[in-house]
Amino acid sequence: MADPNAVKSTIKNYILEEFLPGEDPDELTDSVEMMTLGILDSVSVMQLVTFLEEQFDVTFEANEVGAEHMNTLEEITKLVCSKL
Amino acid sequence: MDFAWSAEQKELRQGILEMARGSLNDGLRERDERGEFNREGWQKCAEAGIHGLPMPAEYGGLGLDALTTVGVLERLGYGCHDNGLVFSINAHMWTVEMPLLHFGSDEQKKRWLPRLCSGELIGGNAMTEPASGSDAYSLATSAEKRGDRYVLNGNKVFITNGSVADLLVVYATLDPSKGASGISAFVVEKGSPGFSVVGEADKMGIRTSPMADIFFDDCEVPVENRLGAEGDGVALFTHSMTWERACILASAVGAMDRLLETTIRYAKTREQFGQRIGKFQMVGSKIVDMKLRVETARGLLYRAAWLRDQGRSIFIDAALAKLHISESWVRCAEDALQIHGGYGYMRETEIERELRDALGSRIYSGTSEIQRVLIASLLGL
Repeated sequence: MADPNAVKSTIKNYILEEFLPGEDPDELTDSVEMMTLGILDSVSVMQLVTFLEEQFDVTFEANEVGAEHMNTLEEITKLVCSKL
Repeated sequence: MDFAWSAEQKELRQGILEMARGSLNDGLRERDERGEFNREGWQKCAEAGIHGLPMPAEYGGLGLDALTTVGVLERLGYGCHDNGLVFSINAHMWTVEMPLLHFGSDEQKKRWLPRLCSGELIGGNAMTEPASGSDAYSLATSAEKRGDRYVLNGNKVFITNGSVADLLVVYATLDPSKGASGISAFVVEKGSPGFSVVGEADKMGIRTSPMADIFFDDCEVPVENRLGAEGDGVALFTHSMTWERACILASAVGAMDRLLETTIRYAKTREQFGQRIGKFQMVGSKIVDMKLRVETARGLLYRAAWLRDQGRSIFIDAALAKLHISESWVRCAEDALQIHGGYGYMRETEIERELRDALGSRIYSGTSEIQRVLIASLLGL
């Protein structure tokens, strides 16, 4: 059973490093709507999905790779944990 | 990775090759000159199972994996010289059938997929607009929800199959202030109120694949025709484009095989300065480069398809395949034409048409420049 907090921390660190370099980590809360705000655009979502697949050895359905399931850190964490 | 074909796969590939050679090439030169779509050929391909290669049997497809599918399309491209027809089939498969399969409701799949697989319906994808090409998500076509309908306004350009399509997957924004997240996809059927097709594009190559502009003037689309959830447009288009980039040029690998064989045959029979021209190192070297391009293109194609079959996302692999196959196809056609000299420049040898057809592959499904931008981004650059 994966620890959701550890999963979230890994994902958050990746997003901060790749897409929000230099930003205050506290600003990226669980509920920030990253796709709506453009933090995650169409290309960075592909990059994030590729990272998640390699990091957690999971796969995603086509309809999961969108704002409905991957808009916030909380949603991404929930989606990944559901596959572990 | 194991790319050896089973006996069953070999039989399927051979059957498609024979069908293509026997049924799809007559009158091509004239159709190319007229810019004419081969509807009869379309139907023959459908009857051979091509339109539904990767679609589940319950929807009328053959239910094949991605690797087998590209392997069959490769043979189609080898046997069928009509690259425009093959292009139209690919657009239909990857940008209409595939998103319907993965984002459509059960009712939508049952309603459209069997008739798309049988060739009765022709599908197309409507994304590009006059001011949004590579920057696809800056589109301006709007959708407004009114009761049990969406009302679409705007226009789309360079729509493959546009003038013959029975249904189009149309991307429009419900809320421009949300940027890409405001985009949704809708299945718009021919004959919908406010839907019109304008003109027929007069293209340089793949002239037998119809292309037109589409207008939506208060075009009414039932709510049940929305594909996926509201705001799913980016996910849907990314999905379509990834499949398309991975698979659309499978047939080009077959076409490159054909160009290579034609060129080797010519270099072994044409004599100048008292010997076969293939004996001249500069000619031989060009042919070796052609062979290298064909094999590396095939390797990237098979690898992307194989990875897809393992359930992995193939964003970078699809972009690499698209980029390399398109660039290789153009270079192969150029080399074939150059080695054939004046004869290659003449229409009768059909190499000049291959070059015209190949050039488009650097542009559609994302230009070579966009593929490089995408790959660089996915590498974290």
